[in-house]
Amino acid sequence: MEGGMHAWKGFVSKGIPEAGMTYFSPAHRPEELIGLTWLLEDGSSKFYSEIAKILKDQKAANLFRRLSADEESHKGSLFKIYQEVSGLNSDPGFPGSVVAIEAGEDYMEGGLRLSKALEWAREEKLSGILELSISLEANSHDLYIKMEREVEDRKGKNVFKTLAEMEKEHLNRLSSLFERNLEEAEK
Amino acid sequence: MGILDYFKPVSTWPAEKVRQFLKDKSPQEYNLVDVRQPKEYEGGHLPGAQLIPVGELEGRLKELDPNKPTIAY
Repeated sequence: MEGGMHAWKGFVSKGIPEAGMTYFSPAHRPEELIGLTWLLEDGSSKFYSEIAKILKDQKAANLFRRLSADEESHKGSLFKIYQEVSGLNSDPGFPGSVVAIEAGEDYMEGGLRLSKALEWAREEKLSGILELSISLEANSHDLYIKMEREVEDRKGKNVFKTLAEMEKEHLNRLSSLFERNLEEAEK
Repeated sequence: MGILDYFKPVSTWPAEKVRQFLKDKSPQEYNLVDVRQPKEYEGGHLPGAQLIPVGELEGRLKELDPNKPTIAY
């Protein structure tokens, strides 16, 4: 349902305008899919890192720093799968060698522009930022499950399975923080 | 092909369409799922909605009847 509970109550939803997109599997080669995911992880890592700097709540800031570091490590895992699948030991042009990169713009899950998301987040409360982050992680989890199915390479399958589990763990951590935030708001 | 070409908009229903749908159908004809957190659900939810927080969806899909339309919010 568009706008969720806010819209049901008759309020105007003030979510990110670009939100609400999903990956729809047009990638023709596994290399392309891996490059795309690397770029999305890069965008999420930058987003979480910037959010950690904005937040005053130190527990929340620490979580976002950890999430950013995890997404960075995912980029390393994805490059290793790329090496396996492509048979290349090195590719200095990656991910631009497999996916068209738009100069000066970073993207996150759901096709969100990093610059727009950060612009929105700077005016937003912690609860709103957590809601967006939860949706990002849910999308990542979903994307990795799809990739596990699409990639035939066994090692690649295992890595995508692990990445899907890690994104689920992120989702759980963010959900717990969101729940704690709601409890504190009630006090 | 740019990054955005890999994505397409998710099809959604506006609140008014959902309101009309729930009015026209009996609860036995659909799955209505609240994917928010328990505290939010406790604070108010759509009549008859089943709480399945988004982090639990994958493990609890069996609770939803695949032969019925599912509305999530």
